Amino acid sequence: MYRYTQHDQQFVEERVAHYRDQTERYLAGELAEDEFLQLRLRNGLYVQRLAPMLRVAVPYGTLSSEQLRVLARIARDYDRGYGHLSTRQNMQYNWPELARVPDILAELAQVQMHAIQTSGNCIRNTTTDEFAGVAAGETVDPRPYCELIRQWSTVHPEFDWLPRKFKMAVKGSHSPSVDRAAISVHDIGIAVKRNDAGDVVFDVYVGGGLGRTPVIGALIRENLPEPHLLTYLQAILRVYNRYGRRDNKYKARIKILVRAMTAEGFKERVDTEWEAIREVSPEVNTEELARISERFERPAYESLSDQTEALSAKRLAEPGFDRWMRHCVFEHQVPGYASVMLSTKVTGIPPGDVTDQQMEAVADWADRFGHGEIRISHQQNFVLPDVRQDALETLWKEAELHGLATPNIGLLTDIICCPGGDYCSLANAKSIPVAEAIQQKFDDYDDLYDLGPIDLNISGCMNACGHHHVGNIGILGVDKKGAEFYQISLGGNSHTDATLGQILGPSFSREEVPEVMGKILDVFVANRNGEETFLQCYRRIGIEPFKERVYAATH
Amino acid sequence: MPLLIKSGESVTHDEQVFLPLEQWLESRDQGLMLEVDDEPQAEFAEAPAIAVNFGAFNDGRGLSLAVLLRTRLNYTGDLRAVGDVHHDLVHYLVRCGYSSFELDERRDLNVALKGAAIHANYYQGSVKQPAPLKKVA
Repeated sequence: MYRYTQHDQQFVEERVAHYRDQTERYLAGELAEDEFLQLRLRNGLYVQRLAPMLRVAVPYGTLSSEQLRVLARIARDYDRGYGHLSTRQNMQYNWPELARVPDILAELAQVQMHAIQTSGNCIRNTTTDEFAGVAAGETVDPRPYCELIRQWSTVHPEFDWLPRKFKMAVKGSHSPSVDRAAISVHDIGIAVKRNDAGDVVFDVYVGGGLGRTPVIGALIRENLPEPHLLTYLQAILRVYNRYGRRDNKYKARIKILVRAMTAEGFKERVDTEWEAIREVSPEVNTEELARISERFERPAYESLSDQTEALSAKRLAEPGFDRWMRHCVFEHQVPGYASVMLSTKVTGIPPGDVTDQQMEAVADWADRFGHGEIRISHQQNFVLPDVRQDALETLWKEAELHGLATPNIGLLTDIICCPGGDYCSLANAKSIPVAEAIQQKFDDYDDLYDLGPIDLNISGCMNACGHHHVGNIGILGVDKKGAEFYQISLGGNSHTDATLGQILGPSFSREEVPEVMGKILDVFVANRNGEETFLQCYRRIGIEPFKERVYAATH
Repeated sequence: MPLLIKSGESVTHDEQVFLPLEQWLESRDQGLMLEVDDEPQAEFAEAPAIAVNFGAFNDGRGLSLAVLLRTRLNYTGDLRAVGDVHHDLVHYLVRCGYSSFELDERRDLNVALKGAAIHANYYQGSVKQPAPLKKVA
């Protein structure tokens, strides 16, 4: 993974000192509340319903075992012994004390980490495929481009005070059917690929996003040459910074500007700006990119062969291991290795919540079975990118003991869920108890496997932190005259050929949701052709059969 | 009385007058007062000084406008941030090409002066330091 240069290290240390000074001035009454707000947000501190929340940046979801151990210690020393994996691949703490945040940031800086720009109207952590650099079939690793963007966007002089928050995602080069970074629902989505000449080029999508106004991003440039990545981003950000709406925060995201200008009009504006800067701007620097790439040391993979036969025998002997292998273990680029998803989606535990002990266990596994690296997926699970295949059985047994081996990756109970009304002051409704009730109702693994892959996403309000619009089944908490209700949508998809879900109809009380889910799945099972997935079936039969069943008059 | 910083130092007295665009077009030997959403025009380069009025300290349009004045019009005169200028954000203003700052008297001049140099080096190029950082191990 990327290792800091001396400059990177100095930068985070200077930032800690600066923020410590700001916090002290605030506590001494020298900085007004609303002014300090803007400063603390850009250092990751957001005030929630019950306490401040600190969001630590995990650039493109990659961590070392050493870093994860420090995150565990922070959870223990400054919080209540747990942290939360976010849908932006970051780590959040729900109970830090405002006055001690500078100390937390100082501890983070010691292991090349920070919380810069994890909140506020600025460029946020760039996300990517959780299997970047190790996925079978990947031809260009997106991580050096993510790091290039991280550096370029960190305390950018011109683009740190945008009309609204700004999120970018990058996906590596794959067959077009693979998109684990959900690039079409980001302010900017970048697809890395190679052209016919073998050079790296980018397809750039703009104006996607969820929230109140869900939009699928528009492709505004194909085959952007590698040396122009940053000038092109600069042109997009400048147009947005100058013309994005600032009078209404609900209309301030870039998607609203793109819609107002039309994608074609927006593209023209960007191209005009780009023409003016592309030849004079020194930002693009292939040398720098080469330097960054060098700092992503490729781990020292041993020369191993695939253990298919030995694993088959173990799988036959141990059905639990077989289930886990089928759903949590993924093909690796290097023979003899695999990537493993460690599911946090255990019934009764908020999706994405992990204890200090779990973090330490994951760090140990990364050291013992791989190369000391961990990823966080945007589905809020841990990933061990490199695991020797001969260690899989041992890992499975230990992960079981730590509650991290639930074999439900990609299934109905692998729910994406925001913190909801239990923690968040914006939420209209609780989301975690809904997830739990569904996990309780659908607790039979055989049934879950029969249903196949289903993305179930839950948001506690229309800000859509739980990405409900792009869940195959989406659940949105709404407020009806002070009571919590839940609206259900079907057919959303965040992967390639992304689509937004369609609302089923009137909303339901929390108690009704599991039963309604049952009816929806009954319709799917009754109409399914062969091995069709829920999404494929929905796309074929449409929403009507679901409506008819769910809203049928009861007898 | 507002506080003024010019060329990195606190200044007590300044005679510069800034006129709104319509009036300035009639007397171009005076300073020009712009709003953050004004479009840069070639003739602005004639102004002996330009002020940009920040309605709110967190309005980033004033940053892009400064960059355009400096890099697109190659404006070399004094460029002043006025209005709701926040003493903690002076480093952004400096890097985007502002050369002087008028702060409300409730602001902390020392923070503003110190705030211009929080980091020894930044990642990106800027108006102030056009070449992006060459990083070393």
